[in-house]
Amino acid sequence: MFVKPVGTFARYVMGAALALWLIAATSAGASNAAPQLLAEPQSSGGPAMLRRLTEAQYRATIADVFGPDIPIPARFERALRAEGLIAMGTSEAGLSAFAMEQYNTAASSIAAVVLSAEQRQRFVPCAPVVAEAFNAHCARKFVQRYGARLYRRTLEAGEVGGLLDVARSAHARLNDFYAALEFTLVGMLVAPDFLLRIEQVQGQPAEAGHSRLDIFTRATRLSYFLTGSAPDEELLQAAADGSLDAHEELARQVDRLMSGPRYTGAVREFFTDMLRFDLFDDLAKDPLIYPAFNPTVAADAQEQTLRTITDHLLVNEGDYRELFTTRAAPLTRSLGIVYRQPVPMRNDWQEGEFSARSGRAGIQSHVSFLALHSHPGRSSPTLRGKAIREVFLCQHMPDPPVDVDFTGINDDTSTARPTARDRLRAHATETQCKGCHWLMDPAGLALEHYDGLGTFRTRENGAAIDVSGALDSREFVAAAGLGEALSEHPQATSCLVRRMYRFATGRAELPGEHAYIEYLNATFAAAGYRVPALMRAIALSDAFYRVVPNADKSIAVGHDEDATGDSS
Amino acid sequence: MKNGNRRGFLRGMLGGAAVGMGLPLLDLFLDGNGKAFAATGQRIPVRFGTWIWGCGFVPEKWIPTATGTDFELPADLQPLAPYRDRLALFSGFDVKLDGVPNKPHVTGCLGLRTGIPVPNDRVAAPTLDVLIGDVIGRDTRFRSVEVSTSGIQRSYSFRAAGSANPSETSPLALYQRLFGEGFQNPNAAQFTPDPRTMVHKSVLSAVSEDRQRLMRSVGAEDRRRLDEYFTSVRQFEQQLALQLEPPAPVQNFTLPEPPEDLTVDSEMEHVIETHRLMAGLLARALQCNQTRVFNVLLSDTTSNLRRRGSSTTHHTLTHEEPVNPALGYQEQVGWFATQSMLAWRDFLDALDAIPEGDGTLLDNCLVLAHSDCSIAKSHAVDGIPTMVAGNAGGRVRTGFHLAGNADPISRIGLTLQQALGLPVERWGANSMATDRNIRELLG
Amino acid sequence: MISNVICAKSLFCALLCALLFTTVQARAEAEFLVDGSAGFVVSSIRYALAADAEENAGCPEGMTTGYADKSEVFIVHDGLQQRDGESEDEHLKRLFGVAFGAESVRNLCMNPELGREDPGFRVVTGENVPVFGIDMDGATSSVDGPAVQDACPHDDFAGMNGESGIDNQYYRVVGCSAQYQSTGLSNSFELEMLSGSWGMLITLDGVDDIANDDEVQVGIFASADPIQLSPNREPLPYATYALHQDPRFQARTTGRISGGVLTTDPVDVRIEWVVNSIRLDRPLDDARLHMILDDEGVMDGYLAGYTNVEDLYNYNYSFRNGTDGTGNLAPLRLRAGSAIGKAFVLGYTCEGAYQALYEFADADPDPATGRCRSISTQYQISALPAFVVNEATASSNAELDAAGFGRTGVYDARPASEAEGR
Repeated sequence: MFVKPVGTFARYVMGAALALWLIAATSAGASNAAPQLLAEPQSSGGPAMLRRLTEAQYRATIADVFGPDIPIPARFERALRAEGLIAMGTSEAGLSAFAMEQYNTAASSIAAVVLSAEQRQRFVPCAPVVAEAFNAHCARKFVQRYGARLYRRTLEAGEVGGLLDVARSAHARLNDFYAALEFTLVGMLVAPDFLLRIEQVQGQPAEAGHSRLDIFTRATRLSYFLTGSAPDEELLQAAADGSLDAHEELARQVDRLMSGPRYTGAVREFFTDMLRFDLFDDLAKDPLIYPAFNPTVAADAQEQTLRTITDHLLVNEGDYRELFTTRAAPLTRSLGIVYRQPVPMRNDWQEGEFSARSGRAGIQSHVSFLALHSHPGRSSPTLRGKAIREVFLCQHMPDPPVDVDFTGINDDTSTARPTARDRLRAHATETQCKGCHWLMDPAGLALEHYDGLGTFRTRENGAAIDVSGALDSREFVAAAGLGEALSEHPQATSCLVRRMYRFATGRAELPGEHAYIEYLNATFAAAGYRVPALMRAIALSDAFYRVVPNADKSIAVGHDEDATGDSS
Repeated sequence: MKNGNRRGFLRGMLGGAAVGMGLPLLDLFLDGNGKAFAATGQRIPVRFGTWIWGCGFVPEKWIPTATGTDFELPADLQPLAPYRDRLALFSGFDVKLDGVPNKPHVTGCLGLRTGIPVPNDRVAAPTLDVLIGDVIGRDTRFRSVEVSTSGIQRSYSFRAAGSANPSETSPLALYQRLFGEGFQNPNAAQFTPDPRTMVHKSVLSAVSEDRQRLMRSVGAEDRRRLDEYFTSVRQFEQQLALQLEPPAPVQNFTLPEPPEDLTVDSEMEHVIETHRLMAGLLARALQCNQTRVFNVLLSDTTSNLRRRGSSTTHHTLTHEEPVNPALGYQEQVGWFATQSMLAWRDFLDALDAIPEGDGTLLDNCLVLAHSDCSIAKSHAVDGIPTMVAGNAGGRVRTGFHLAGNADPISRIGLTLQQALGLPVERWGANSMATDRNIRELLG
Repeated sequence: MISNVICAKSLFCALLCALLFTTVQARAEAEFLVDGSAGFVVSSIRYALAADAEENAGCPEGMTTGYADKSEVFIVHDGLQQRDGESEDEHLKRLFGVAFGAESVRNLCMNPELGREDPGFRVVTGENVPVFGIDMDGATSSVDGPAVQDACPHDDFAGMNGESGIDNQYYRVVGCSAQYQSTGLSNSFELEMLSGSWGMLITLDGVDDIANDDEVQVGIFASADPIQLSPNREPLPYATYALHQDPRFQARTTGRISGGVLTTDPVDVRIEWVVNSIRLDRPLDDARLHMILDDEGVMDGYLAGYTNVEDLYNYNYSFRNGTDGTGNLAPLRLRAGSAIGKAFVLGYTCEGAYQALYEFADADPDPATGRCRSISTQYQISALPAFVVNEATASSNAELDAAGFGRTGVYDARPASEAEGR
């Protein structure tokens, strides 16, 4: 084992933690509350979960274990989104026969490549004397090595024996050692221990009434949280030899993972999930109204936002709240057409800023947000306002009443009501609508300078567009005003904290974790709202690994916000 | 707080329904040799073929105005009304040139079939049919059979650039090749179960043995989810078990008579006759498993078709004939486009005439029909008309018209490969590279 | 007094504000003009011709016809004539076998100067035929008119709106060919542009007022990037295009805008084009723009100039100097086959076209022989707002370029051999 040099970024995160500790220590005398806030409070913990690997996690895991060059030719079914996160859906999703068929296709193909004559030297640690002979010692090494990586734990002797039996009987039929290993690997790749993260509780409770997840489960939680992939050899080793039990070793592993190459991917996975980018699969735009929209624009729009986020949060070590005000605009040629900005770079991303004229600021003024939360042929202040509240503030907006009459609102060619604001006036006057729409429309109306695709405009049907808006009694003008309001909204940061914890655990926080969540909020604030500091705090906390024995999982998957992101 | 159990359960159900679009396929599974199981539990092979007609179409007579399942067949597709629900129509899918010079009638046709447009005859082989044939056609007498019905010895099936798989142009020669010397009685063959399939099945049995251990380690809600997993494994195991059964015997097969001698040339009436005859022979050959892959060329991409009494070919007309101002298109050219669709109907008739399993041979085929361009006078390769017929033994869904909105046409080739069990996630190059299959086709 | 000052001040303020506001408004409306510069991509291009012969009576002698027997495309064609019972297909096959089989058998499409005079090639001789286009030489010329110092006497046309002196002799050459009528196919060469094989860009710089400015800088360039289209194949506004890095494809001139109409001073322009995957140049000498500009930045009008007859014949009829994209001559089979095939399919003789082009050449007299060598040629073009950038960047299709399928010198001015080493 060796310690990698710690990058500037990891130093920063550790520095933030140190600063926290200092604040806690020095303010102890002045305030009774402060040190309690910043020391991790007692928490109930939650249930051990059973989570299905997401497509991204499956792909990352295979790439890590066998190499990124191994093709994964499966058609993954649509991920289940629950409570606003696919990460929560993984705790509820079953595994259909269709999915099994696809996993099997992928497993057969991966195993065939790994054991192919061209590749096998890379993966099989030893060789039979003759290809036809069964080499039990070699097979055992193969099964132990890849079993551990794929099952994310040391295999028990019985399991190794079982897999060796499989190999032996395959060999008996096929008379080819590598073919025997190939089918043994197929078996591992379709096993529940690989496809599902079946969390286990440690045998001895750490303290009365509370248990911890077992050490391999902890390593797995940690790894998927911080890298989006299975534990690597080093982390597995720390679990196998028990050293991960020590807080210092845990901290070392956390810092190692956060300075490693997969960390950015984990942050991207979180924001892809939070921003509901999976809904892009269904996004359609009328080609006559939005001729610039195509699949490349859809893909680049998502990438633009993710690049902006990772550049700001990770490369520039920025404050989360500034994501709502940043004018950074990485562009491609395809996006340049929609944003109406020049993009000299032909085949790559061009760094730059949004033109002042367009008034864009913040990721809520990106095409990825504006187009996703619009109708196929027009913008929607309501959908945008709803998404502002649900995505960024974790608020739940109810579905519209079933008997509502939309005709006046939908007629976007009306000369009497040329702008969306004119058409939505009914929302503010009809009592049936008012109750909810006053929460949604005013925030969305501030984004009306962007059409249903996200292109800047100042007029609709010839009339000048009024972009004044409001969010929770704060009034403002245009996207930049909305961005400032969001960045200063107290729920923007607490929402992120809650989502991050749910992303990490795959469940909603329990009542017994209230104080812990408050602690995370305070920690996030004290770190200047640096997202890596928040993730580090979660990864290092006891609560993250704590188990309530016999927990009623129904509590953990009961929620206070809606799962759907696609109501009209 | 709401009742999480019920919500979770319901959501699980909904999730299951959402992904369960694949469920009808459960009864039908394809093994590595492309054998499909019909719902009856019989094993019937799936076949793949392409059917090419040259010089495109008249859009206003071919593209339905509506998309989805509820569309009216336009004039040129009217003859195909009996097959409406067994056809998928694709309009507006492009061969993306990326600035590659368009070699008329070649770049589009081969771009569609390889996912890579080239400006000359250096085909980015292998073509789609060869890729698929290597998976579903391995153990038949002929890896594939190529047929050209307008007297021109050409083919757009390539294993390697420079050597097309040659077409038969004479019905008699085709007959002799298929049913003459070397013909194999389809029911005489000894069935040997594939040992790899046997091993695969036992691997899954071993996985299932873990059930009890895992069930003990989780709570009630997760037990339900684990149960679903193990049920899925068991279903898959059963499908493998079926593959170890002997294939369904070929029924109702009678050796066809040698075809009468007829004029083989490029005159449309002759071509229609030649095509009908060759389609019938091909269908019989498919029925008795002499091959599982075919490529039919009704007319070359620079169509040499002629109308009786006229010396001007279809292709020449596309460049010579003025647009009829009243119609808005080239009238003579339109005639050939109409005739081509009549021939396509004949082809489907030939496949559909042969009963097989619960349905007909057509149900167990997947036929990709396409042209080389959309509007021949300009050699446009955007919006090349394309159709898929047959259901590949339930592997694809038909009965709709899909507008591609300028998506790369390689999406169709990718989807067909995936439907037939090829392990491919991405296909094509440059702007034609795609990992987006056509969900509508896969059901 | 004080109040007066305030009054004056506020009045001044109000005026200033009004002024500023108007400027801001004007700027805001002209989204396509940024800091006095605007870029455009040509979204449609076709020859400026006239109404169909049937309507304007331009062809009293009838329409052009091609070779009576296809063998006549060969200079020596004894024994090549269609035989009794030989189908057209078989005849063609035999002819092409000869055309590509022996170098000694030369064809007239690639050697038109060796052809006999073709009486079947018809040209526009009708009276009072109005045409599209502009007056380029500032004179209303007539062959029969008073002797002028014009070394290349020619008959000007009247314009569609009654203007006089329209210089459009190319129309005279092709106006009686079926394929150049509105139902024909020869005037739709922009299709290759729309499929991305070539493109054309225009830039304006130094614009103080988009409606009226007596001096603006104008660029006319070949594009290095394929045109961007909507799913309905309509060119999209506000895409970014790099200009062709080969200086031969970059033309810069001056111009003026008056009442929303842009006119420019003559400059030699060159764009690319493609026939049957053969790459060709389309030059236009002394070219000038005459474009109407609207509020959305859409331009419509003419690109008018003179084309050297040999150049025109090469890119439109013989393809004899066509290349394969790496700069090497395209295969003879492809060039000759395309030239001959085009003549057969479109129904003209190559030598007839060549002779007519020289007959109506109206510019560039050879100092030695007095023969006029260029013919007035006009295009109707439309253009959309675009971002035009000038930089050498990698092709979006580097792999195909390396394989010789793409274009060299387009993205990077360095020679291909050097560029490969990057």
